[in-house]
Amino acid sequence: MKRAATWFAALVLLTAWLATEVSAAGAEGGWHGNYFPNVVLTTQDGKKVKFYDDLLRGKTVSINFIYTSCGDICPLDTAQLRQVYTRLDGRVGKDIFMYSISIDPERDTPKALKRYMHSFDIGPGWTFLTGKRKDIELLQKRLGIRPNTPGKLKEHDTRLIMGNEPNGSWVKRTPYDDPKILADLLGESLTNFASSNNDSGLSYDKAVQVTAGTRGNYLYRTRCDSCHTIGGGDRLGPDLAGVATSRPKAWLLRWIKEPDKMLKEKDPVAVALTKRFRNLPMPNLSLNDDDAEALIDYLKAEDKRRADAK
Amino acid sequence: MRITTMGCATKAACAVTITMLLSSTAFAASPFDIPTGASPSPVFGALPWSQELQLFEEFGTTPVPTTDCVGCTALPPVQSCTSGPTGASLDTFLKQTIYPLPGRNANVGGLNPWHTKINDCVYVPASKTLVASVAEGRPSGEWFAHQRWGEFKPSVYFQSAQAGARSNGGLRDTKQRHGYAVGEFKIGGLYYRGGTTKYTMPRFHPKMPVQDPNSVWTFDGTLPPKLLMARYGESVLFRHFNALPIDQGANMGFGRHTITTHYHNGHHPAESDGYTSAYFFPGEYYDYRWPMVLAGYDTINTGATDPHAGTPNGAGGTTLIRGDWRETMSTHWFHDHMLDYTAQNVYKGNAAMANLYSAVDRGREGWRCNYQNPVNVNLCLPSGTALDWGNRDYDVNLAIADKAWDQSGQLFFNIFNTDGFLGDRMTVNWQYKPFMNVRARRYRFRILNASVSRFFKLTIATATGQRVPFYMVGNDGNIMEHAVAFPNAQSQDLPEQGIAERYDIVVDFKQVPVGTKLYVYNLMEHKNGRKPTGAIPIADVVAGRYTGDPAVGAIMEFRVVALAAGTSDQSMNPADYVEGKKQMIPLPRATAAEMAAARHHTFEFGRSGGTSDENPWTIKTDGGPGFNMDSKRVSAAPTKDTLEIWHLRNGDGGAGADDGWSHPVHIHFEEGIILARNGLPPPVWEKWARKDVYRIGPGPDNSGTVDIALRFREFMGTFMEHCHNTQHEDHAMLLRWDIRNPGQTIAIPSPKATWAGVEYEDTYDLETAVNGAPPPAGAP
Repeated sequence: MKRAATWFAALVLLTAWLATEVSAAGAEGGWHGNYFPNVVLTTQDGKKVKFYDDLLRGKTVSINFIYTSCGDICPLDTAQLRQVYTRLDGRVGKDIFMYSISIDPERDTPKALKRYMHSFDIGPGWTFLTGKRKDIELLQKRLGIRPNTPGKLKEHDTRLIMGNEPNGSWVKRTPYDDPKILADLLGESLTNFASSNNDSGLSYDKAVQVTAGTRGNYLYRTRCDSCHTIGGGDRLGPDLAGVATSRPKAWLLRWIKEPDKMLKEKDPVAVALTKRFRNLPMPNLSLNDDDAEALIDYLKAEDKRRADAK
Repeated sequence: MRITTMGCATKAACAVTITMLLSSTAFAASPFDIPTGASPSPVFGALPWSQELQLFEEFGTTPVPTTDCVGCTALPPVQSCTSGPTGASLDTFLKQTIYPLPGRNANVGGLNPWHTKINDCVYVPASKTLVASVAEGRPSGEWFAHQRWGEFKPSVYFQSAQAGARSNGGLRDTKQRHGYAVGEFKIGGLYYRGGTTKYTMPRFHPKMPVQDPNSVWTFDGTLPPKLLMARYGESVLFRHFNALPIDQGANMGFGRHTITTHYHNGHHPAESDGYTSAYFFPGEYYDYRWPMVLAGYDTINTGATDPHAGTPNGAGGTTLIRGDWRETMSTHWFHDHMLDYTAQNVYKGNAAMANLYSAVDRGREGWRCNYQNPVNVNLCLPSGTALDWGNRDYDVNLAIADKAWDQSGQLFFNIFNTDGFLGDRMTVNWQYKPFMNVRARRYRFRILNASVSRFFKLTIATATGQRVPFYMVGNDGNIMEHAVAFPNAQSQDLPEQGIAERYDIVVDFKQVPVGTKLYVYNLMEHKNGRKPTGAIPIADVVAGRYTGDPAVGAIMEFRVVALAAGTSDQSMNPADYVEGKKQMIPLPRATAAEMAAARHHTFEFGRSGGTSDENPWTIKTDGGPGFNMDSKRVSAAPTKDTLEIWHLRNGDGGAGADDGWSHPVHIHFEEGIILARNGLPPPVWEKWARKDVYRIGPGPDNSGTVDIALRFREFMGTFMEHCHNTQHEDHAMLLRWDIRNPGQTIAIPSPKATWAGVEYEDTYDLETAVNGAPPPAGAP
């Protein structure tokens, strides 16, 4: 009797092991239903969906992992991806699908996800998802995303997985890449360039002078541009034209460096701004004094350039 | 195969199976994730040392014709979206003369020969049609035109197609320099093998399954792996056809059908370097032109009077050439460099080797040898005597790589794990545990680490682990100033060998009795693809006590046989060339004036994109933010004819810094001389070396920092620097740098290819690209 029990336990163990290892091998040369878990997730609208059947099968997708209570860098992911969404110009929800999956599923209820989407003014075709923790961890594992360290959600793996399920092409990038590159990957390269604008001419003679970027320019492009414009109107955050002169410099320096602290201290200007922009708080982007100075210099230079151009 | 459905004949048999499986290294709780994310690769009953090593097969070059071929045809058509042309049609095509003739500018006049089929396969439903397409995928116009075309016009060419695996049809039998007629390659020689490679099947062992055409993609689609044999001063044109399936998904789970071919560290112009964004499509070709000139061509020995700077003339003489003979290079390889897909494509078979011959390293022993008379320049490394140059009787290319295959035996790659991919089966020249008969004499082995993420530590020893002494004579394909004996005070075995590093060694099999069997061992252990964990004592390996990483152990067998009657070993003895004795090729060290005038760039490979998230794959240039690859961004722009000092840093940048990952950093185009490792002189095998791969990070022979001096000469354009753990590279641990003319203000635009041809996008510079930044504290 005891031998039989041991025997049974060994068999259970074996089956468990096989379930992870063998299917992980991507059998028969592909990455389809035999590889991707078909776990059930819940959308921001409370709808139950199966990961493989409903979200991946037959589609070109982008997937990233987020949590909505993240106060500092993470919102930048979403803001950056929103740029990708915009660049794809109406294709998201039609032939390209974007998914952001919560790694904090207990707190990120469908309602919380919906609130978050509202803050970022996110349109249709981009779905936010929550689910059972162990299911989400399995998804991370299969997609080659490092597991979260308990208690360190902030350090989670934020990489962006982009793929075309039917043809089995998958690449990883980060949301901080140039949105144009990400949009080109999703919209063209992963789909064998079937949608590329392939009748445009060859334009090698259109080279430009070398443009050497300043530090402020780079910081602006990679840290600010996803939410702000300079003279192009409000985006997720306010238009920054003239802000370098209209706000006191000390206030602006601090607001760039530690907006989260100022909000906690209920700085009146900070609170009013946040309210004006759908309660989307300015994130702490881990910028130092030099960075903040460089950004302010850049904003001033842009103001001057625009004034000169008039 | 799904093991869950596997029945057991008896309960006992099942119990045995379970025990075996639970104790296997693939058990989920095991610290060894090898092969990465998959079950062990079955060996189908193949026994070690039961197949003979296949030698590299020469492409063979032909003089470039002067008139266009009449009656030549285009790349043969394909019948389906998921396959290439038939093997027979491909062979017929590759046999014909190059057509049309190569030109300075890309040939964008004609259509892609597969134009109609592409329309059918790609645009479904036919919402769009392919209006334009191109014959050649090289970016058009001036920017990717061949530099100095008239001066370095190709005199010889070869052509091949990247194609699905198939049986070898003997296409290149008549192209071998030895012609299966001389030395060890003639009837009765050790390597005659019937005088043909016909019927060589694409498989790891005769007992293992033949690879599917979409599992393995190689040059010609065939094995053995291919070798270019070239001479200095003879400009080579390589027309590379892309004969891969039009359907992006026809790849058995990995591999990309758009490709770009990087000649790993030739002194070649940018348009022929294989820029990551200058890729080309199925049906197209790309003309790579490799001038084969010595660096310093424009400034040193311009009258071609130095007897060391020369090339074999094919008739027992030497033609003197311009340039600095101290820049002579020998052992190269070329491989795919496709953005996001390099690891998959190289692993899948898009890799070949190249031996470059010169007056000092001409592949002919016993002929005007330097050891006989110091006036002679020929180093007479082990090779052979029958041909004027390029004897391969005792000069053997070994490409070593770890692979994995699925339960049906088809090559497997895990595209989702991006920490690094490890296979569980070591292969030599694509074979599982081969043996090789060797004569009781000196041999030269040109050893390439052709893996994706695996670092090696190789040694040669008996079955019981008795080490056999040998010499390193070349590092990263460059003959060193002095030979280095192994074992030595700093290392018993070859130093750690990172991905893409080449070590040329000389082994004398005379030191063991005829009949002895010797083994190449890999002692370096990995637990995952991030970094090696360390070398395993050889005693534990030979005693079978070590059972962790399946790639640790013997990977190849040598069987020592007697010298053929009437022959003798006429190669140099490396012991005459060690430190304190004769020099092989002296190092072209930077002068004090060059050092003082040098611009500095610092590149930090590792975590942090300037954000708080985990994002290990970035490079920070000159203290700026961490970036991933953007092919439009120029991170450094050295001026032609200057020397720069580049500081490579791992992780947080301090001396000895260690972010927990290892990165073999490769800098294209130029060889560097290592000035310091962690601020100290480099180990002896690097002290005398010109390198193109620099390991930084944890590892027995590594350091957190490396400082190198580089010169930028002769050619301009867009090159790269990247981590050669190609899984890291693919995730954009890659940057672009450009060589510019003094005063140049126009940046070369960045190519962007589609089925319709190549467009360009505007390029921009980092703020520090031209002038660099002050060196890190304490750096030279």
